[in-house]
Amino acid sequence: MDDRVPTLRRRELLRVSSLLLAGGGMAFLAACGGAPGTTTTASSAPSAAASASSPAPSAAASASSPAGSAAGSSRPSAAGSSGSSGGNIPGKDLVGTIEGPTLITEPAQFPKQFSEAPSLAELVKAGKLPPVAERIGQDPLVIKPLRATGKYGGTWRRGFTGPADNQNGHRVAGGDRLLFWDAKAYPKNTPNLAKDWKVEDEGKTITVYLRKGAKWSDGQPFTANDIMFWYEDVYNNTDLVKVKAVALSVNGKPGTLTKVDDFTIQFKFESAYPMFVDVLGSSIAVFGGNAIQGQNFMGGFAPKHYMQQFHQKYVSADQLAAKIAEAKVDNWVNLFKLKNTWHLNPDLPVMTPWKTTNPANTPTWTLERNPYYFGVDDQGNQLPYIDKITMTLAENLEVLNLRAIAGEYDMQARHLDMGKVPVFLENQQKGNYKLSLDPASHGADAALMCNQGYAADPEIAKWLATKEFRIALSHGIDRNQLNETFWLGVGTPGSPVVTDDSPYNPGKEYRTKNSTLDVQKANEMLDKLGLTQKDGEGYRQRSDGKGRLRIELQTISGSFLPFTQIAEMINQQWRKIGIQADVKEVERSLGTTRLQANETQIYVWQNDGSDNIFLYPDHVLPCTTSSGTGPEIGKWFQSGGTSGKKPTDPQIVKALELLASGSSKGPEERTKIGQEIWKLAVDELWAIGTVGLSPAAMGVRVTSNKLENVPSRHFNVQDGQTPNLSRPSTFFFKA
Amino acid sequence: MLAFLVRRLLMALLTLWAISILTFLIIQLPPGDFVTAYIAQLQSTGSAVSAQEADNLRAQYGLDQPVWVQYFKWLGLALRGNFGMAMEWQRPVIEVIGDRLLLTMILSLAAVLFTWILAFPISIFSAVRQYSFWDYLFTLLAFIGLAVPNFLVALILMYFGFSFFNANVGGLFSPEYADAAWSGGRIWDLMKHLPLPALVLALGGTAQVVRVMRANVLDELRKPYVATARSKGLPEWRVILNHPVRVALNPFISTIGYLLPYIVSGSVIISLVLSLPTVGPLLLKALLAQDMFLAGTIVLLLGAMTVVGTFISDLLLMWIDPRVRAEG
Repeated sequence: MDDRVPTLRRRELLRVSSLLLAGGGMAFLAACGGAPGTTTTASSAPSAAASASSPAPSAAASASSPAGSAAGSSRPSAAGSSGSSGGNIPGKDLVGTIEGPTLITEPAQFPKQFSEAPSLAELVKAGKLPPVAERIGQDPLVIKPLRATGKYGGTWRRGFTGPADNQNGHRVAGGDRLLFWDAKAYPKNTPNLAKDWKVEDEGKTITVYLRKGAKWSDGQPFTANDIMFWYEDVYNNTDLVKVKAVALSVNGKPGTLTKVDDFTIQFKFESAYPMFVDVLGSSIAVFGGNAIQGQNFMGGFAPKHYMQQFHQKYVSADQLAAKIAEAKVDNWVNLFKLKNTWHLNPDLPVMTPWKTTNPANTPTWTLERNPYYFGVDDQGNQLPYIDKITMTLAENLEVLNLRAIAGEYDMQARHLDMGKVPVFLENQQKGNYKLSLDPASHGADAALMCNQGYAADPEIAKWLATKEFRIALSHGIDRNQLNETFWLGVGTPGSPVVTDDSPYNPGKEYRTKNSTLDVQKANEMLDKLGLTQKDGEGYRQRSDGKGRLRIELQTISGSFLPFTQIAEMINQQWRKIGIQADVKEVERSLGTTRLQANETQIYVWQNDGSDNIFLYPDHVLPCTTSSGTGPEIGKWFQSGGTSGKKPTDPQIVKALELLASGSSKGPEERTKIGQEIWKLAVDELWAIGTVGLSPAAMGVRVTSNKLENVPSRHFNVQDGQTPNLSRPSTFFFKA
Repeated sequence: MLAFLVRRLLMALLTLWAISILTFLIIQLPPGDFVTAYIAQLQSTGSAVSAQEADNLRAQYGLDQPVWVQYFKWLGLALRGNFGMAMEWQRPVIEVIGDRLLLTMILSLAAVLFTWILAFPISIFSAVRQYSFWDYLFTLLAFIGLAVPNFLVALILMYFGFSFFNANVGGLFSPEYADAAWSGGRIWDLMKHLPLPALVLALGGTAQVVRVMRANVLDELRKPYVATARSKGLPEWRVILNHPVRVALNPFISTIGYLLPYIVSGSVIISLVLSLPTVGPLLLKALLAQDMFLAGTIVLLLGAMTVVGTFISDLLLMWIDPRVRAEG
């Protein structure tokens, strides 16, 4: 038998224990107790992580040759693999090609006959359910599955970390927004709950057509009235929604929504807003669907026939008071919220493929098929194929990862830790699953966001606002070393720019522009800026004579990536250019508070969401109060110039103007503007990229060998709710 | 005696009130509030919440009011036996804790039983056969037990359970029983899952009890009354059990005060590591999420348990030890 396996096991065990010991109990607690999205690799020093990366090559090698030729590769040599960059990175074998199901929109190709799950057929026979054709209506959503027509049945097992992890379920069983993204061409819009849309008047009028005969999970028809109920009685009710959604207005002027007929609605804006179509397709905005946004009184629609019984306008004060008391909440707002929350209220009618039957605030969150789901496959079989989804509560992420390794989850990417890739690989056969990686589309998993509105220390503020200084810092970073140490070599080093496949990417050269290791150039640039005075240890001195130039890197504990360790390594690398960084790790809430109080110099965070630059530019430009590149400037931008700090850098002004102009332009022109913004972002480096396009965030995926129609790779994007984008309703279990 | 009880009771109430204020203040100390924590968490999963939405949320939860208003609101609710809504869970605090309280108690009691069953015979044996081979062996084991952090033991056991026995990882139930109603099958399932965490919890405690108890018994063994008892011709086991052991028990009785809160909170770290559905992880999560109603209620509960426990241990001491009675 292969003698390498026990070695690996021991190594892993040692690593786990060294992590725990080095980090100490409390660090472990802080890391694993955190809410979703935290990983426990956040303790030990870089050396431990470096040793963790070394088993990867051999593990991958053994996976590719399962016959088990122990000879040769039994000693993983870190030196051999990490020295040369690129080339033969083992993790690349685990990345598939983007694929996904196809929507059939040509009515001529629609199936004529429909069938359904055996359990539903029985109910129809017993007269407890109308026939399937009646349930799905005359305009079903027709999806051609990725590989094969499925079989009905089975339970999809997953793990979650508590009610705060409700995205976990939304990502697999949700997906009820009006429009959707194309699984194979993000960010291209496709129909979903709405069957079609039309942009007129250069984008001042947007008409959306609903599916006739679509029904809520309780059999009631879904019509424009449900959208109008949401718009008039929820969104425009000042008790429920105090502040209106930015995405529903253009140039500060809110749009209006009217009902044309039962199956047609129309949006009108004072000026052109063709980008609104993207808003209808995105999960993060106001039209993200009732499943995910209902809890925030957003979403774009709500089941009027059910929710009106909890609404002030429709029931008497006495009745409402009785319901408030029964639900043990303090007011009708919280009652409405609770009842309209997809993952907490099993009675809420839904439009999603599955519906919650046991709520997310219990140890097992369970979802079962929605007998009225409006989707069918190209053969006319009603979706979803899978009967049931169960998510078991894991109190900490180590347990969740161990359960994934043990094959207790049928498909899961959320919360799986990239640092454990070798162990996932090693146990593939035993756990009967396959490991794959879905690299994300955002350019930086760890970006150094330089606060352009910093003021507390004028000397530091001056340097952070100096382009050459930022570029010099960037040239001082050895991204290959970071990649090998913290990303197991599967990330892509470079600038923060979005993936090359994205329409917003301005060109391949921007990946490396200003973002390669060049210590000599960095030193020359810094010398030229006048930072020539050095102290005994070789560190550059401040120009105001107050000693060493020290720049603070703020990191947040318990995050997807070990930001603190990454920053520490950058600090070591910067020694060669004579720059001293002080890495300051803070707890998450404190981090947010400090950032919003404009107290951070450089904020270390990923730029996720930046793959859709117009919908989520927060981590690229100083445009919101939570932008690391300048929260005060963001305040200025958001408030329309009434508060915050006006930017002085003409390039920032230009970038913000471009950003603001995007929403009023058609897709083609908007794409060009997006590229312009990215060019500026890389030329100016307000945020310095390190390593990105990696699977670190929700991209390490185990898929049971029994599960079919799962893409070998899908777009790993936030506002597509990966894997929702790939239509989990078409996944099924082989015999 | 009655005056003593009334005095103690009043003191207990006052202590509880002080605990409630302290709890609330401590939870308010860290920067930010539930909404900041919620936003930070959303950001780490890639969603964004605007400043206006954040204000919306604050108003919804009443977090925009001054601290003392929030405190009295909570106190008012608490006095009526309603501890408010657990923000993250969107359920009444009572229900959220209630779900886990029974399991926590079962687990902790099992751990305490394990501890005592293991510790008392070993410690008495060690003391009586001082410096024998077995004494050395138990001493060695006890020191190892004391020195190894028990969360590490838990991790290692869990890993071995997974690698060699294909055991279900973590938890107190198999998935099919996690949410089921109580039944024979569910109890049996619990029985199968209980020994591992209970044993891990008991290990550290056992080692400690063995060391203390051994020392106590040794002290007593050398006293003249033991020689007297022996000279009276009592059988050896009666000599030991009736006299030195009984005296040596005193320190344990006085720690019952700490046993009660322990039974409620379980061990936070072990429960986290082993993913046990007990109150411990709940408390940690509540603190991280700055959910002051939930965290406050748990801490208050722990405080109450300590107060009650101390009271009980005082009574027990009076009952078991005539010397205390005489002084009291």
